[in-house]
Amino acid sequence: MAIAKNNSVKVAPGEAVGTVAAQSIGEPSTQMVLENFHQAGVVSAIRTKGLPRLIELVDARKVPKVATIEIWPEKAIMKDLAKVKALKKKIEEVKVKEVISDFDENFNNASMQLTLNKEKLAMYDLTDRGIVSKLEKIEGIEVSSADHVITVKIKKTKSADRSIHGIRVMFVKVRNMNIAGVKGVSNIGIETTDDGAYYLVAMGNNISGVLEIDGVDKNRVYSNDPFEVMRVFGIEAARNLIANELKDTMKVNGVDVSYRHLMLVADAMTFYGTIKSVGRHGIAGSKNSVFARAAYEETIKHFTNACVFGESDPLTGVAENILIGKQVKVGTGIVKLSIKKSDLKEIKGK
Amino acid sequence: MQAELIDHIRFTAVSPDMVKRMSVAKIIVPDTYNDDGYPIDGGLIDQRLGVIDPGLKCKTCGGRAKVCPGHFGHIELVRPVIHPEFAKTIYLLLQSTCKDCHRILLNEKQIGDLRPTIEGFVRADDNDKELGLQTSVESEDKNLSIIKKLKTVKKCPYCGAVQGKLKLDRPTFFYMNGNRLKSDEIHDWLAKISNEDLALLGIDGTVTRPEWFVISYLLVPPVNVRPSITLESGERSEDDLTHKLVDIIRTNQRLEQDIDAGAPQIIIDDLWELLQYQVTTYFNNETPGVPVARHRSTRPLKTLAQRLKGKEGRLRYNLSGKRVNFSARTVITPDNYISMDELGVPQKMAEVLTVPFYVTKWNIEYAKKLLSNTSYPTVLNHISKDGTRKRVADMNREELLAALQPGDILDRQLIDGDVVLFNRQPTLHRISINAHIVRVLPGNTFRVHLASVTPYNADFDGDEMNMHVPQTLEAQAEARLLMNISTSIVSPRNGLPVVVALEDMLIGAYELTKDGAYYQKDEAARLLASVGVYELPKPSKDGMYSGKDIFSAILRDDLNFEYTDKKNPNNMAVIKNGRLVKGYISSKLIGKRGMLLLHIYDKYGPEEAKRFLNDVSKLAGRAVYTFGMSISMRDYYISSLEGERQKIISNTLSEASELLRKYKDGTLEPLPGYTKKQTYELEVFATLNIARSIAMKVILDSLTIDNKAMLMISADARGNILNFVQIGMFLGQQSVRGGRPSRGYNGRILPYFTRKDSNPMNKGFVKSNYIEGLGFIDYYMHAMGARDSAMGKPLVTAVSGYLMRRLVNAMQDFYVGNDLSVRDAGGALIETLYGGDGIDPMMEKMQ
Repeated sequence: MAIAKNNSVKVAPGEAVGTVAAQSIGEPSTQMVLENFHQAGVVSAIRTKGLPRLIELVDARKVPKVATIEIWPEKAIMKDLAKVKALKKKIEEVKVKEVISDFDENFNNASMQLTLNKEKLAMYDLTDRGIVSKLEKIEGIEVSSADHVITVKIKKTKSADRSIHGIRVMFVKVRNMNIAGVKGVSNIGIETTDDGAYYLVAMGNNISGVLEIDGVDKNRVYSNDPFEVMRVFGIEAARNLIANELKDTMKVNGVDVSYRHLMLVADAMTFYGTIKSVGRHGIAGSKNSVFARAAYEETIKHFTNACVFGESDPLTGVAENILIGKQVKVGTGIVKLSIKKSDLKEIKGK
Repeated sequence: MQAELIDHIRFTAVSPDMVKRMSVAKIIVPDTYNDDGYPIDGGLIDQRLGVIDPGLKCKTCGGRAKVCPGHFGHIELVRPVIHPEFAKTIYLLLQSTCKDCHRILLNEKQIGDLRPTIEGFVRADDNDKELGLQTSVESEDKNLSIIKKLKTVKKCPYCGAVQGKLKLDRPTFFYMNGNRLKSDEIHDWLAKISNEDLALLGIDGTVTRPEWFVISYLLVPPVNVRPSITLESGERSEDDLTHKLVDIIRTNQRLEQDIDAGAPQIIIDDLWELLQYQVTTYFNNETPGVPVARHRSTRPLKTLAQRLKGKEGRLRYNLSGKRVNFSARTVITPDNYISMDELGVPQKMAEVLTVPFYVTKWNIEYAKKLLSNTSYPTVLNHISKDGTRKRVADMNREELLAALQPGDILDRQLIDGDVVLFNRQPTLHRISINAHIVRVLPGNTFRVHLASVTPYNADFDGDEMNMHVPQTLEAQAEARLLMNISTSIVSPRNGLPVVVALEDMLIGAYELTKDGAYYQKDEAARLLASVGVYELPKPSKDGMYSGKDIFSAILRDDLNFEYTDKKNPNNMAVIKNGRLVKGYISSKLIGKRGMLLLHIYDKYGPEEAKRFLNDVSKLAGRAVYTFGMSISMRDYYISSLEGERQKIISNTLSEASELLRKYKDGTLEPLPGYTKKQTYELEVFATLNIARSIAMKVILDSLTIDNKAMLMISADARGNILNFVQIGMFLGQQSVRGGRPSRGYNGRILPYFTRKDSNPMNKGFVKSNYIEGLGFIDYYMHAMGARDSAMGKPLVTAVSGYLMRRLVNAMQDFYVGNDLSVRDAGGALIETLYGGDGIDPMMEKMQ
């Protein structure tokens, strides 16, 4: 707590900023709604919002419930709807099953015939050959095509799994094969900004895939998946993303929280060089105090492990000092009161 | 004021030697009291283990109950048993070592590879914080992967013995190639593992030896830990732990007898297994794979692990949180005639609660006066210099008075001006606890100033709050200087004011300062007198006094401030040299997010902001008191708006049917990620929802603040336009689970509708309002929406409560260092400069 009288706006040393940040996020979260979509007015791309999103971020879930990616076209084509639509077509994932009208599986000779839909092929600018060449990348199958019918056959090698289950797995894999667009990027919607520029919002998180597409503004690709951002851009970017996503989540709920608190959470989560969750498997579980961990969750496990490894509790944190009844080492607990010798003499008399 | 400081606490397993050294008695009798009700020697309530009955003396230390801390005893088990919690570790150790030579199953080269990372570990644990704070993540992983592979080693690299197949049958049974490994065999195996080999597994053999995980000497906790209770009937009831220990001794005795009698091996093994079961449940009665030990009444026994675990366990219930003395709790009621940082304390409480008064040569006269009082502000206890404590009564008052000297401590009753902490649960905030100054008042409730209610999130519908009286001078000083409610005027969450003027104060401030508000001399004088100003300002016209001038009396002369609301330019104020020259005082200045309040806090500090709020509440309170403020049903039901109402409803309905037409035509463009049906439902829901917003706009445009309900709304005093719409126009679309009600009968919500009827009214669009009343269908729809939102509330509370616990637990150790960097408990650098600029979020919004 800073005192305004001194006209100082700096934090006071000792301030328990962690607790304040936690409370600043936790307190308004009691007023948030649990439902994902609770918004009157315009319906736009679905994203996890409110409390569920907050928990998702803080839990550091490996895969977010709904991963979205924002793709901005390059400046030159930003306002040209036709070109943006073309870009959309280039990015949107097309799977084999989306361009076939029928398929026929034969388990006797482990082959499958895919009948292609001509209209769909034209829609996605695809050719038989193109699809065949893509499918050939899958190991263990032979692909041939004739008159819009593609035949897929599982090779008779030793390693090939020719059980019914194995055949089925392979065929499903073939039908789910990506043949155009960026893998995992689907349901692309075109959105407009106030000044008439278009951009794309899609489901999926494949940043590195999107970055390879021409016409995409490489500096503005944005995904809400912290792990993907960490893989592509590094931990600092992930840290910024977490803080930013926290900020947006709070803002959507009409909660005003200082960015400093959110940054602290993001910093704590990314401190170890990888994204750690806030709960027992993350930051709270990796504290170096046995008592602090035991008082939080999994009490018995922490105590027995501490005994096995002869661990010693340095008693530096808050929880453990409360436990043993010592003064806590934050706030006024880190300063000592002292008095001038001369003053003491004066008070004591003599 | 701490006598001894604990530096660190080391955890180890307890060795048999340690047990023998700790133990004061060997427990051999599986019973507690004899027929005379006297503890049996060598029994579980042996008097050497300490005493709990008043009147008895501990045979070890000679202390009586309350003085004697209790002493441990021990049970000698005839056959060793596995400690259930360590079974997993034992399994790992057996897997990692040779069955014949008991060396670790690593060759010299592998050990050489491992060593550097192991040394990193050792160094980190040696309290050498600077050097090896964190071993890098990679080396830890590498370590683990090598050790995990040890179970796949088939041949010992040292003696060449072929390793058998080891199996752990949870919780405590080990098999080698299908044959049971007896606990004593395991003990001997573990005992032969060398400290060097253990170090490779991260275990320090000089601290914890693995053979200690196999128990042959069982520690018996002192009776203080497991007190027996005497029921009203005079019957004694023993603690669960005692029950379990009785079982252990009994089984142990039977086993011993059978062994001595040379019983067949099968019988001995069975009993041995039973002993293992008793010990397992003694440690943890929730061990997976083990039947739960039960009390006679089939209630599961609460054994050691259950005592520690969870919310009601020792750690969280008794150690992290404690019951306190010097506290009080009662209902809160509002009182705007005390200061914002005061707390009206009932006289009855003040008479019971005490504050230590340290007698010095400077205050001894006052102390004597207090001590001589026979009623209210008096002294309850006297603690003399040597620490003897005496209750002050009329009998010994004179005597104590005569002997009073500096260095004595008096327990004085709570009086006006004392500092107390005031708190409301749930304490989600640091501003949910603040210091207040005591004001002893008649009555039975805590009196709270209205302005200070927001940080506690309290209201007066029966809320109770807690008060704590800090006892040490240090605590009192901190409370006064750092925790006073005036320091919570600005929220640490976002730097905006939370202790603000509300309700009547806002209406009063508006009525007082609006353009054209002029008062007669007597009225003006009364208003000013309410804030202790006894000089009239200059009359402005016809000898009348302007409300703005009256308000200016509570502004500091050097205050300059300007404010214009961006959305509503009429809402503005200009203060020049402490005079409100233009505009009026609105909620934007003194209410939530009040910029004037923030400016005063910034410029003059919390004390002045507090004074300002106090004065505003008194002056504005006096103002509403003078004008009066009341609303009626007529304010809400505007017949001239009936046409508008019908228009909005019919427009909305036709828009909805247009959407339906599009959907049926198939021309409705689906949103990405949705089917057409979902898209239709979403858009209809959105369209029907918007009806209310349109109605809100209509009301906002057509009504002025001559309508008192509108005055309340626009002054931010109470209510919002949505309330107005629902009272006077229509309720609008009800929502269940984030959409239109959709469940109930086949193809319809209620049996009164035809199936698949797309009429919005049949899916929760309510046309009626609160004044005209709801028809039964509307009523039902409204009840569905209300129930849905009521059901959601406890769920959100539980989820967000856990989120908060996790966040706090993860970050509670973070503090700002002298260099404004953020550190955790181990000194690790979380942020190099707090927030990137070192600025306190409380000060963030100040100019």
